[in-house]
Amino acid sequence: MNAITPTPGGQVGRSIPRLEATSKVTGRVEYVHNLRLPGMLSVKLVRSTVAHGRIKSIDVEEALKVPGVHRIVTSEDVLKVIPVPYYGPAFHDQPILAIGKVHFVGEPVAAVLASDPHVAEQAARLVVVDYEELPAVFDEVEALKSKTVVHEQLKPAGTFPDLKHLHGVRDTNLALDFQLVHGDPAKAFAEADHVFEHTFRTQQVLHVPLEPYVSVAETDGNTMTIHTASQSPSFVRLEIARLLGWVENRVRVRVPFLGGGFGGKLYIKLEALVAALSLITMRPVKLALTMEEQFYTLTKHASTFRIKSAVSKDGRVTGRECEVWWNGGAYADIGPRITQKSGFTAPGPYDIENVKIDSYALYTNLPPAGALRGFGIPQLVWAYESHTDLIARELKIDPVAFRRKNLLRDGREQATGTVVRDMGADACLERAAELMNWDAPFDRGSGTIKRGRAIAVGFKASISPTTSVAVVNVAADGSCTLFCGTVDMGQGSDTAMAQLVAEVLNIPAETVRVVHSDTDVTPYDMATLGSRSTFHMGHAVRLAAEDARAKLAALATEVGVAPGSNVPIRELFVRKYKMQAGTIVGTGSYIPDYTSPHQGTGQSANVTPFWMVGATGIELEVDTETGHVKITKMINVADVGRAINPKIVESQLSGAAIMQLGFTTTEKMEFEGGQCTNASFADYKIPGFADLPPTMTNVVVDANQHNGPFGAKGVGESGTFGVSPAYANAIEDAVGVRITTLPITPEKVYRAMCAARNEPLED
Amino acid sequence: MIPFEMLEPKSLRDATALLDADDPTIRPLGGGTALMLMMKAGVFQPSRLVSLRSVEPRYSTITVNSDGSFNIGALAPLASLEHSADIHKHLPVITRTMQVLSNVRVRNVATIGGCLAHGDPHMDLPPVLISLGAKVRVIGPDSERTIPVADLLTGYYETQLAKNELIAELIIPPQNGKRSVYLKCTTRAAHDWPALGVAVSVAGNRDGLSEAHVVISAATERAQRVEQASALLVGPPANDKLFKDAGEAAASAVELIGDSQGSVPYKRQLVRVFVERALRQAIDGGITQ
Amino acid sequence: MSTANKTIHFTLNGRPVTAEVAPHHTLVELLQNQFNLNGARESCAQGLCGCCTVLVDGKSVSGCLYLASFADGTAVDTIEGVADGVALDPVQEAFIEAGAFQCGFCTSGFILMTKQLLDAHPAPDDDQIRHYLAGNLCRCATYPEIIRAVKLAATKRKTVTA
Repeated sequence: MNAITPTPGGQVGRSIPRLEATSKVTGRVEYVHNLRLPGMLSVKLVRSTVAHGRIKSIDVEEALKVPGVHRIVTSEDVLKVIPVPYYGPAFHDQPILAIGKVHFVGEPVAAVLASDPHVAEQAARLVVVDYEELPAVFDEVEALKSKTVVHEQLKPAGTFPDLKHLHGVRDTNLALDFQLVHGDPAKAFAEADHVFEHTFRTQQVLHVPLEPYVSVAETDGNTMTIHTASQSPSFVRLEIARLLGWVENRVRVRVPFLGGGFGGKLYIKLEALVAALSLITMRPVKLALTMEEQFYTLTKHASTFRIKSAVSKDGRVTGRECEVWWNGGAYADIGPRITQKSGFTAPGPYDIENVKIDSYALYTNLPPAGALRGFGIPQLVWAYESHTDLIARELKIDPVAFRRKNLLRDGREQATGTVVRDMGADACLERAAELMNWDAPFDRGSGTIKRGRAIAVGFKASISPTTSVAVVNVAADGSCTLFCGTVDMGQGSDTAMAQLVAEVLNIPAETVRVVHSDTDVTPYDMATLGSRSTFHMGHAVRLAAEDARAKLAALATEVGVAPGSNVPIRELFVRKYKMQAGTIVGTGSYIPDYTSPHQGTGQSANVTPFWMVGATGIELEVDTETGHVKITKMINVADVGRAINPKIVESQLSGAAIMQLGFTTTEKMEFEGGQCTNASFADYKIPGFADLPPTMTNVVVDANQHNGPFGAKGVGESGTFGVSPAYANAIEDAVGVRITTLPITPEKVYRAMCAARNEPLED
Repeated sequence: MIPFEMLEPKSLRDATALLDADDPTIRPLGGGTALMLMMKAGVFQPSRLVSLRSVEPRYSTITVNSDGSFNIGALAPLASLEHSADIHKHLPVITRTMQVLSNVRVRNVATIGGCLAHGDPHMDLPPVLISLGAKVRVIGPDSERTIPVADLLTGYYETQLAKNELIAELIIPPQNGKRSVYLKCTTRAAHDWPALGVAVSVAGNRDGLSEAHVVISAATERAQRVEQASALLVGPPANDKLFKDAGEAAASAVELIGDSQGSVPYKRQLVRVFVERALRQAIDGGITQ
Repeated sequence: MSTANKTIHFTLNGRPVTAEVAPHHTLVELLQNQFNLNGARESCAQGLCGCCTVLVDGKSVSGCLYLASFADGTAVDTIEGVADGVALDPVQEAFIEAGAFQCGFCTSGFILMTKQLLDAHPAPDDDQIRHYLAGNLCRCATYPEIIRAVKLAATKRKTVTA
C-alpha cells in the first residue's frame, strides 16, 4: 500500500467517522476502567461526614477485623512518603487525605485497601471518625465577608504563568479578586438615561461523566506509572513528580480513552492518592469512584452575578458594572483562572466603552469547584443575556434589534482593551435570527398553553499562554504516527488531529495512527481543556507534520528524487537505507502570543489568541396550570472558524447544548448543612431522550480564524453559551415572568406566575 | 455489597418457611431490582436472601378468566404484563402504564409481586391496580389471605405483609367496560419517578357516572383512594365543572409530602390539575377496560 | 450461615462456560473479572444509565443489578458477541455512520438496546425510539445522532433480510 498517494480533496473539512469507531461499537475500546493488574489492591475511601471540622480521632480497629483487609491508610501514613502532600493547579491547598481538618462533606479521610473491592467497602463502613465540628460557610456572597474562614493558611502554587500573581487574602475566603476597569464607568452611569440592575444566580451542578473518576498506580520504588482517566497527563506528571520530589522522567502517566471528561478530569483528582497508596503498599492500587462519589469530587461553580447597565435613550449600552462571586468550594482547583479568564468577558459580546468588573474566587465548605464545559462562561452568559432581554423589554425594543445595536464587532475593543478579530458574534446572531424566522409572525399559543421564543449570544476567550508539543513519525513504509498528548474524551480529537497531519502530508486521515498520552512517549501538552486543543495542539501537530514533510523532501533530494515526483515514500527510505528501515521524525511546538492583563485594571493588548461565539434560539410552550415548559424548537449556532470535521463539530454543538439544557432545567446538587442529598442519578437528573427537544438544528457560520490551523478554532464549549438565558427569556416572552436562578423548574415557573397575578403560592 | 447467604427454594410455601417474621435481614428476592439498589447503597445489608426464581412456574403465569377477571402470578415479570395480548385487550390501562414505568431492562426483570410488596409510593402500577379494585392473595408458612391492594399498602415503604408472608398472585376483577386512565406527572427530568401519579377508573358517560375511583400516588406516603373525590363524581352530569370540583376535592383531601420533586402547595396544584385532566381523558378519550 | 460460592453454567456469547460466583457478585463483575469482557460497564449503579446492559435469554437486563448467580442455566449475550468476527452487525455499522457516540462509554448499552428495539419494532418512528431508549443515558448527549443511527440500522436490516 502506498501511504502517500494523493487523495482527492483536502483532509480538513472531511466528515470521516472517528478513528476509534470500531473499537467503541464492539465494546473493546480501552478505558482505565478496564485495567486489572496482577496483585492489585482496590481502594474504598472513608469520607468526611461534616462540612468543617477538626479530626479528633480515626478508629480503624473494627474495620481491620474484616477478613481480607490489606491496610487502612490515613494522612499519617501519607506524610511518611510525601512530606508536603498538598496539590492543586492554582493553590497547593488540597491534601491527599485530610490532615487534621476536613473542609467539606465527602472529603477523603482514610483509604481502605483490599484485593476484593467488596471487602474494602465493607471495612470502610466500619471506620469511625470523630470530629469537632466548626462553623461552616456555604454561600459565595456570604463567604466574601464571613468571619468563618475555610483555610487558615493560603498556599499559592505558582505553576502556571497566567496564575503567578495569585496570593489570596489571608484570614478571608478570597482566593482571587480579579478587577477590570475600562473607560470611565462612573461617568457613564452619572450621565445615563436609564440604569438597569439585576442579580442572577446559578447552582452547583457537576460533570458526571458516565465513566466515573478512576486511577491506577504501580511503582517499583524508583519509577511510578499512573494509568488515569485524566484530561491533563502532563500536569499529572509534573505534579506527582513535585509531590514525590522526583524528576519528571521517573513518573509515567498513561491515558487511554476517557468515558467523558467535560472538565472534571483535569489537574489532580485521584492520581496523588493512588501514587501515595502504591508507595505505601508497594502494590498496584486502583481507585475507581462510584457515581455517588463523583458528587464529592468536583462541581461546577455556583455563582452570583450582579450586573448593572447604563443605557442611553436610543438603546445604546454605555456603561456596565459586573460583580461576580464564584463559589469555589473547599479547594481552589482551577477556580482562580475561571474567575479571571471568564471574568473579563462578564460584560458580554457587546461594544461597551465603560466597564468595571469585580470577580471573586471564594472558598466555601462545599465540594471543590472547577472547570465544567464553558469554564465559567455559561454562568456569565446566563446573567448578561437575561439582563439584555430585560433591558430590551423595558425599553420596548426588539431583543434581536437591541443586540444588533450593541454587538461587539471586529475592530472594536473588548473590555480588556484587546481589539477583537474573527469574533463572529454578529454572524451568529444573524444566523440564529434567520433560523428562528425572527421576523415572521409568531404563534403565541392559546388556552392553558402559552408560547414564547428568544435568542441569546455568548462568547469566550481562549486560555493563554499555554504550550502544546507534537511529534509526527513517518515509518519506512510511509505510514504515519502522531504522538500527541491531547486526550480524546469523546470530543473526537484523535480524528481531528489525524486530519491535520493528513492534510499536510497529503494522505488519507484514516491511515494516520494516533498514539495516546503516555508521558514516556508523548510530548508535553498543557491539557485538554477550554476548547484549546484544536487551536493549540492543532498548530503543534501542523508544525510537526510540516517538519516531517520538509525532512521527507530533504530525503528525496538526498536520494536524487526530483521535487514534485510521485515516487512512493517507502522508495525514498529503501534508496537511502537499502531496505525498509529508518524513521522521519517531525516535531512541532506551539505557544501563542499573549499579554498578561494588568493587575488592577485588567487591560491587555492581546488577551487571547481567538474568541469563541455561540448563540442559541429557543421556542417553547408553557403550561400555565403547572409551569411545565416544553421546548418545541432549538437552534444552536457557533463560530468555530473552519470546521475540521463538520459532523463531529455538529455533534459537539448539539451535545454541549443538551448538557447545558440539563443545567438549565433539572440539574442541581441539593445540600443540607453541606451534605449533598441527591448524590445519584435517581435524584440528580441528567437529560435523557425524553428531555430532547423535538427538533434541534446545529450549525456553524461560515468563518475562518486567521491565525488558526487551517482556519480552525475551538468548538467543545460554544454550544453551551446561550442555552440558559434563551430558555429564561423565552419563558418571559411566553408568560411574562422572569426567573433569575437556575435551574428553572416547573414549580419555579408556576410560582412566579402566581406571584405575578398577586396570588403567591405559600412556601 | 457484603456477602450474604442465598437460598433457592423450589416452592413458594417453602420460601415462606425460610423467611423469618422477626428478622429484617432476611428477605425474599424476586427480580431483585429494588432490593439490589438498597444493597448497593448499603442501606440494606442482608444476612440471607430467599430467591423466588425457582418456585413453581404457575406463579409466573397470567390467566384471564371467562368473566374477564385476571389471576396473575406474583413472579410474572412486568414485561410479561406489558406484552400480554389478554391484558392489552381487557386491561389496556395496564399496557399503557407499562410504557411509562421505569425502563425496558427493569420491566424485563422486576416482578409484579415485588413491585407491590416493596411499598414504594412512587411505583406506577399500584394506583392503577387500586383503581381497578385489584386484590392480592398472600401466603405465609401456614396461612393464606386475600387483601385489596388498597389495604395492602399501609405507609411509606410499608405494607400489611408479615416478614414471612409472600404475595402469591394478583387478582384483578372484571372491569365491565369501565374507562381508566393513569397520568404520571414528573417535575424534574421528563423520564423520572412520578412527582404525582393519578389513576382514575369510571363507569358511565357525560350524563352521569355510576362508579368512580380516583387514586393518588407518589405525592403521598402511599398510593390511596381519594374517597371525597370519588364520591362526588357519582350521580351528577359528568361535565368539566364536576371534574374541576373533583380535582379541588382531591387536592384538599390528600395529605401531601414535599420533597425535591415539589413543595406541598405546588403538588396540591398538580393534584387539582391532573385529577381533572385524568377524568376528562377517561370520559372522552379514555380506554374501555 | 453459608455464603459459599456456587458453580454456575451458562452460555456466553454462544459458548458454554462455567464460573464460580459468590452470592453478592453481580453479572457485570463476573463478565469483567472472569471473562475479561469489559463492554458492559457499571456506571450509575442504579439501572438508570444502561451502560451495563447485557442480554439474558434474549432479554435486556442491567448487569449491575443482576446477581451473577441468576445467570446459571441461561444464555448471556454481551456487546462483544454482536459482531460476527470482524464483520460488524448492521446496528454497529449504523452507529458508526451516524456518528452516534462520542466517548463511547454508554455505546454498548445503546447498541444492545437498539437491537432489541428493532426486533420488537423493525421500522420505529422517532417516538418509539425515544421511548424505548428512554432508560439509557448518554452524558455526551449524542441522542439526535442515536435516533438517526437507529433509523439507519432499520434500513440496513431490511436490506440484509430482503
